Amino acid sequence: MRYLVGVGNYCAWDDSIGLRLIEYIAQEGLERGFRAIDLSGNSLNLLNYMEVATEHILIVDSAKMGRRPGEFEFFKPEDVQTQKELRGLSTHEGDLLKILEFARLMNYPVPPITIMGIEPEEIKNEMGLSATLAGRIPEYAQAAIRHCMYSIIPKEQEEQLP
Amino acid sequence: MGGDYAPAEIVAGAVLAARSLKVSKLFLVGDESVIRRELLKHAENFDSHVLHVYFLAAPDLLGAPSVFPLVATHGPVVARALRLKRLSHEWGSLIGGRTTHPTKAVPGGFASLPTVKELQELREKMLAAVPDLVETLKTVQALAPAIPAFSRPTEYIALHSHDGYALYDGDIQSVLPDGNKKLYKVADYRKCTNEYMTAASTAKFTKNRMESYAAGALARFNNNHEQLLPEAKQAAASLGLQGICTNPYMNTVAQVVEIVQSFHESLAIVDEFIKKGIKDEPLSKPTKFGKGAGATEVPRGILFHEYEYDKDGMCLSGNCIIPTNQNHANIQKDFEALVPQLLKEDADEKKMELRLEMLVRAYDPCISCSTHFLDVKFIR
Repeated sequence: MRYLVGVGNYCAWDDSIGLRLIEYIAQEGLERGFRAIDLSGNSLNLLNYMEVATEHILIVDSAKMGRRPGEFEFFKPEDVQTQKELRGLSTHEGDLLKILEFARLMNYPVPPITIMGIEPEEIKNEMGLSATLAGRIPEYAQAAIRHCMYSIIPKEQEEQLP
Repeated sequence: MGGDYAPAEIVAGAVLAARSLKVSKLFLVGDESVIRRELLKHAENFDSHVLHVYFLAAPDLLGAPSVFPLVATHGPVVARALRLKRLSHEWGSLIGGRTTHPTKAVPGGFASLPTVKELQELREKMLAAVPDLVETLKTVQALAPAIPAFSRPTEYIALHSHDGYALYDGDIQSVLPDGNKKLYKVADYRKCTNEYMTAASTAKFTKNRMESYAAGALARFNNNHEQLLPEAKQAAASLGLQGICTNPYMNTVAQVVEIVQSFHESLAIVDEFIKKGIKDEPLSKPTKFGKGAGATEVPRGILFHEYEYDKDGMCLSGNCIIPTNQNHANIQKDFEALVPQLLKEDADEKKMELRLEMLVRAYDPCISCSTHFLDVKFIR
């Protein structure tokens, strides 16, 4: 199974982009060959999708990467250090890197994980989403689904490729 | 609503939004849908309480900064916590579609139903978790001496029902420290919440018969402990929890009692569905339009929703009063009583900070708040 996971916070403006992407995928009926999961801030629940049979987890979140607002990038958890200030494990606010570290400590079968970071225009305590990001949701969905489905190919399938 | 602030409340919110409309007679919902929603609410309560007890309260009581160091020192306990979390995830997903922002509980009923076979599988998983529940009680018994001794006369507000320990439905009930109880109709929820603002906060505060009140597991226990199932009553007795308890730190213990309650009540519901079979009920459609209020219990306490819809199905107004907000004033009053007590005990700054943070966490507010709530500055 492949999972496309949205994380974020509806109450923090562009930090909700991961959740809105999952909404869009569900509304448009695009959930085929993978499961779209709304994790909100409850990152600890990511552990529930880490199974031997899990082929790939793509996590969509807002990420301050120094790019122009609305731009996105795919990266591996090990490629980045978190920007969020955390004290220990905050299960709600959810530092995904901490969750992955926790999963490894508890011997979970950690599958290939990719993060799709979307540069926010603004993060503030308000419901909503900037027009910059809202206008690109279909594009984000297309890119996320393609990456979720085809970027990680199981070895046995890879061997069958021409 | 929700996001980082309230994944658990979103389950209740979905349930309550659907039910608020029923209260206003916009939708007719069959009894089986109500029972399924109760099952979903128990899963939510179980999941949220396990998270709070094991991942926030236990590290405090063991003197650890987070659950991380406990992997090395209490590995089997952490593994048990994750097994219980997994169970509640599968339980909630089966009934609600997913645990966060459930998709199956919709106005008018359920979008899809589990099969008897799936319920039988859930039952097997629940029975397999019984040893973990027994060990949970033992762990909390062992940690109980570390729960701070602090008591302040408090009013407690929760749902109350004649049908059993209220979680999904009922009237609003307030109980005072002397046991005096008062009932309110849900439609009159504004009369017992009495929201107000203070200059010191952007959040609204609430009060009723005393200068503040508490909502949550301890409030439910204090109002309704006589209606607990025998297994939950036994758990409460084994943990030294008796009504009316006015120690806010004991909210965590009340949550453990509710873990047992939700487990056994759900097992009975699942058994009943397996016996009777699953009856597919078509979604009820709106019959008229208007305004209605609903109240339900969520892990952190009583939650009020009120909506008004016009004849075109457009929402004209809405009002939500969430439990974390209802607890704000009570936490403040607890602080005002606890700080002098700590000064009298000559507690050092580290101990004071920890005890105050533990107090906030005991109310189980949204986890972002409970983790980063305090920035203590000592002025001498």
